[in-house]
Amino acid sequence: MAALSSEFGDLVEIKKQLTVIIALCRERGLVHSVKWASELAFALDPLPMKELPPPPPFTEEDSQDLDAYSLAKSFFDLKEYDRAAYFLRGCRSQKAYFLYMYSRYLSGEKKKDDETVDSLGPLEKGQVKNESLRELRVELSKKHKARELDGFGLYLYGVVLRKLDLLKEAIDVFVEATHCLPLHWGSWLELCNLIENKEMLKSMSFPDTWMKDFFLAHIYTEMQMIEEALQKYQSLINVGFSKSTYIISQIAVAYHNIRDIDKALSMFNELREQDPYRIENMDTFSNLLYVRTMKPELSYLAHNLCDIDKYRVETCCVIGNYYSLRSQHEKAALYFQRALKLNPRCLGAWTLMGHEYMEMKNTSAAIQAYRHAIEVNKRDYRAWYGLGQTYEILKMPFYCLYYYRRAHQLRPNDSRMLVALGECYEKLSQLVEATKCYWRAYSVGDVERMALVKLAKLHEQLNESDQAAQCYVIYIKEIFECGELLEQVELSTAFRYLGQYYFKNKQYDDASICAQRCCNYNDAREEGKSLLRQISQVRGQAETPSSDLSLPFIFGPLSAKNTPVRRMSPLNLSSVTP
Amino acid sequence: MASVHESLYFNPMMTNGVVHANVFGVKDWVTPYKITVLMLLDEMTVSTSITLLDRRRLNKLILPLLQSPDMTLSQLIKTVEDSCPQLAYTVHLRLQLMADGELKDMEHFFDMLPSPFNETESEAHKTSVVGLFMRHMVLAYNKLSFSQVYKLYTALQQYYQSCERKDSPAAEPAEDTGMELTNTEELGAKMEKEELDFAPSDDEVSARGPLSQKQAEYFLAQQAYLLKNDENKALDPAALQKELNNMLKFNPDFAEAHYLSYLNSMRVQDIFNSTDSLLHYFDRLILPGGDSKSNGDEGCGRSLRYAALNLAALHCRFGHYQQAELALQEAIRIAQESNDHVCLQHCLSWLYLLEQMKGSDSTLTEHAVKMAVHFCLPYLASLGIQSLVQQGAVGGKTANKLMDALKDTDLLHWKHSLSELIDISIAQKTAIWRMYGKSMMALQQAQVLLNMNSLEPVNLGVQQNNSEAFAVALCHLSELHAEQGLFAAASEILKHLRERFPPHSQHAKLWMLCDQKIQFDRAMNDGKYHLADSLVMGIAALSKTEGLYRKALVLKAQNQTTEAYKVLQRLLLYCEKIKGTEMTIRVMLSLAELHWSSCCHAIALPLLLRSLALSREYHLQHLASESILHLAFSQLMLGIPEQALNILHMAIEPILAHGALLDKGRAMLLVAKCQIVTVSSEPSKQKAQALEVAIQNLEEAGTYFAKVDCKERVRDVYYLQARLYHSLGKTAQRNKCAMLFRQHNQELPSQGVPLITRL
Repeated sequence: MAALSSEFGDLVEIKKQLTVIIALCRERGLVHSVKWASELAFALDPLPMKELPPPPPFTEEDSQDLDAYSLAKSFFDLKEYDRAAYFLRGCRSQKAYFLYMYSRYLSGEKKKDDETVDSLGPLEKGQVKNESLRELRVELSKKHKARELDGFGLYLYGVVLRKLDLLKEAIDVFVEATHCLPLHWGSWLELCNLIENKEMLKSMSFPDTWMKDFFLAHIYTEMQMIEEALQKYQSLINVGFSKSTYIISQIAVAYHNIRDIDKALSMFNELREQDPYRIENMDTFSNLLYVRTMKPELSYLAHNLCDIDKYRVETCCVIGNYYSLRSQHEKAALYFQRALKLNPRCLGAWTLMGHEYMEMKNTSAAIQAYRHAIEVNKRDYRAWYGLGQTYEILKMPFYCLYYYRRAHQLRPNDSRMLVALGECYEKLSQLVEATKCYWRAYSVGDVERMALVKLAKLHEQLNESDQAAQCYVIYIKEIFECGELLEQVELSTAFRYLGQYYFKNKQYDDASICAQRCCNYNDAREEGKSLLRQISQVRGQAETPSSDLSLPFIFGPLSAKNTPVRRMSPLNLSSVTP
Repeated sequence: MASVHESLYFNPMMTNGVVHANVFGVKDWVTPYKITVLMLLDEMTVSTSITLLDRRRLNKLILPLLQSPDMTLSQLIKTVEDSCPQLAYTVHLRLQLMADGELKDMEHFFDMLPSPFNETESEAHKTSVVGLFMRHMVLAYNKLSFSQVYKLYTALQQYYQSCERKDSPAAEPAEDTGMELTNTEELGAKMEKEELDFAPSDDEVSARGPLSQKQAEYFLAQQAYLLKNDENKALDPAALQKELNNMLKFNPDFAEAHYLSYLNSMRVQDIFNSTDSLLHYFDRLILPGGDSKSNGDEGCGRSLRYAALNLAALHCRFGHYQQAELALQEAIRIAQESNDHVCLQHCLSWLYLLEQMKGSDSTLTEHAVKMAVHFCLPYLASLGIQSLVQQGAVGGKTANKLMDALKDTDLLHWKHSLSELIDISIAQKTAIWRMYGKSMMALQQAQVLLNMNSLEPVNLGVQQNNSEAFAVALCHLSELHAEQGLFAAASEILKHLRERFPPHSQHAKLWMLCDQKIQFDRAMNDGKYHLADSLVMGIAALSKTEGLYRKALVLKAQNQTTEAYKVLQRLLLYCEKIKGTEMTIRVMLSLAELHWSSCCHAIALPLLLRSLALSREYHLQHLASESILHLAFSQLMLGIPEQALNILHMAIEPILAHGALLDKGRAMLLVAKCQIVTVSSEPSKQKAQALEVAIQNLEEAGTYFAKVDCKERVRDVYYLQARLYHSLGKTAQRNKCAMLFRQHNQELPSQGVPLITRL
């Protein structure tokens, strides 16, 4: 997986290629690809004068079109697309043709957006569409058939197809575009949005260039295959792209996705150092700061971004997070609304706004916001989860089951949904289902470490003492292993229960160890002492010489040999799991 | 993510990204179609040459035109042409003038439109439907911005041209400037195919145009009404869903569409979509409650309760009783917390229903009904009473009390115009009469229901409901006809049922069972036991007890006595457990018949007496007479024909009045047999007279049997007749009967049950 293409050997060559593609994209007005390539080029060492690549060959056609092209390009840069298209209509060179088609496309898109405001009626809004798309498609497909399209043309054709919802055709065309012109990041990026799953990705053939590695890393991040993505990025850094802000930001996002907050934070801090005026991805950063309740840092970030550009979606989200952390939820909601005004498809903002409304106890508005989020993206598990929480707060445990289930479907390995499901089942007194949920939550790696305790308590309720003891033992082991002694309440209950359990099963050594541990906690001290007394009483009757009661500090011996493992293997728990 | 296209979303003019319904504060707006309708209205007021008849037809046309979704011009013109061709031509001409003219023509049109405001003598009064429509249109037009007016005009031109293009397909390629698709042959076949896929949907949308809020509401109301009352007239599920999705795409806030989508998914038993739509609907519904601060909490909580209740109903429909119970508990808890007695009453009814569906016998208390009346919920109250009546009927309450109760509820129904409940009430009466064995009364009630004019305003040509009540009544009707040997009529009714309640629909099981039962009975009569046996499976799938019973009947007919006995015993235990009195009695009768075939007539007697007592206790006249018939037969076989004749007199009257043809035949045959046996010892003259009577009775029995195709029994009748004629010395008649007997005997397979040992 980590093996990269051999082309990485020659960074100078890569740099040259980047320089060429930057020029090509700029001529065609593909600003985002220019930005991406430039960012990457900036991360590499500058080339000496003589190494600079020659400008692209200038053909006869190019020279003929030069004046028209220059004029049109200036109009294009000024966003006068129709005018640009008009002057380019007779041009024959590839460059001018692309700009001609692209202007027409953008003009259609712009008009579409304007019309949305100015449509005849509200219900007509959904009908507004880019009128030029179909014409563009017909012309481009003709050219495509005749194999007259270059890499950029193919890219545009793909975009048009995608806009017409002809996704399968679009993917084919984009793949062709990457083969034809592998250096153009735009085509790769479009593929990232179109490829839905791993199988689809595997079934495709891509050109074997160094760009492929960037693409794979990007799409792994999108598909939540974080391990693979991180590996890819790490090897890219090793090859020599260590200064690239793009890679750093992607790594930070990846860490954020797997909730490795510390690493993500450090990556973002590095990013801020290298690129202090960057706004992209800063909303993710603010989410991390929010989760860690780092108020001063978040405040600094918010003010800084506000200085840079306050009318950006990311800025608004950061400010919203900031207010939310300060418990000023009205203002937070206001800023999320502003973010949505700036980009209605900004999915995160809808969900965050839902959270804010929840904080404000405005459940109906929260439901509304979450619904909007789902409308934008049906696969947004946070919105489904939020809806579930809302109904749970409204004390409708059965009703919210549906929403939690949806969330769980989308994130099958997220313990939070499973714990939530388990809690609902518990409330509905469907204990068997609840145990299944908790056990599954523990199996997929419980982040909040509550599933086991809940499971143990359920087993207690179901009078399955062996399983309950089993869970408590695992729980105690885990807590001791990770060295955090925060959840004392639950630990004391665990010890208390285990003490009683061993006592009942006449395993007095283990019982006394547990009782001793109980005495360390305030709320269980009395019980611990009384249990100890009972044990010594029983032992006195049995006249067995008491083994030394010196406590093993580590809970090790208990779990090593004296646990109920002897009678019932811990795997037996699986009998209650699906 | 940051691609070129999204940068364009930076558009400060955009409002919040949410598609707000009612940006303009009006529910309607001007479309080319509506302009055409306005023209039509204008023409109607101006032109004087329309005949009275045409005018009446046009007037009837106006409302549908105003309410329906936008039509294409050709459709519209055609509709108008049907009423008044001359007017259609004028409108077409005017539109052509406007479309071929300039923008100012349209502006002029709106200026000249007779305003219902200032002209008091105007035909369209300002508060009339037409007046309102015109005012809406003028208002909407005046609110249009500059670019919108121009857009409207181009839309009008397209509207007109698209009609023209359709009218003259030959001219298409020449006119078609925008669509070069048609003359690009070099595009491959694949391309063309895609285009075909693509184009029609596109055309459809542009032709139909988006629905205005009013049109959408009307559409939803209409479809929901049809779904409830006559599912077959509604759009088919796929088309309806497509329409709804379209509507939701344009306006996601249109919550009612979600509800209709829920109903629609229920039609095709799609649990995923229906749950999704239902929850979506309630998620959307909660908003209005939250908006108004004053009673926001109340509104919100209210919909929550009903959301849970609806979810319970959904699970109930899909047979997930445990889930339904959980949801119902939730609804009850929330309702209790907020003291909502009305909701609680609804919950109670559902709880009762759920318990019934789960098969546990719960009883609805009279108290619940009284509470429902107290909270002014007539619907629930009478539903409760109807449930009580049903319980009472099964539990053997006297008929007069039940009918009294039903009459009282009927009063309530008529008072509140609850037509649905009236239907149920009548269907219930049919069922009760049928159970009592009064087929004439049942027939009459069923006819009453079918001939009743619905209380609901006659709408869209839907006069009759497709509710469960109708299904029940029709099923009874078909069974009653089959009983009287009118098989053609019965199958006609079943055919109608099949059309009205297609197999996938909710109440289809009713007629399926009924159909199979009739077929089974016919097969049994005809002696085609293998055919009957094959039907048993189908019956068992629909009703377990009925299936078992029929299985036993087949076994009995095939002389597999032991197996039949086992099945019947099992069934008897089960029926006594679930208190299915009717079935218990029928099983007892069958058991008695089994005893006959092993010649244990004495053992059959106590069983028969028990069944007689039971059927008398529960007022089941049909089964009572059946029991008497059996009893008499046993007595006959035991050698006390006089006694048999005595008790037969009790049964013969109700059987002849209400019984099925088969029962009538059997009764007459039995009478004849008894008569023959009783007179055998008497002097010859009286004997001859009595035998003549017996022959007549046999004749009657024979005709009855012949009507229901019961060939075996017909043959038996001929045999007896031949013997009687022989003893009377009437050779000619005897020979005729003997010949007929021989004919029948040759046709029939070897006899299953000996002639003498059966009723």
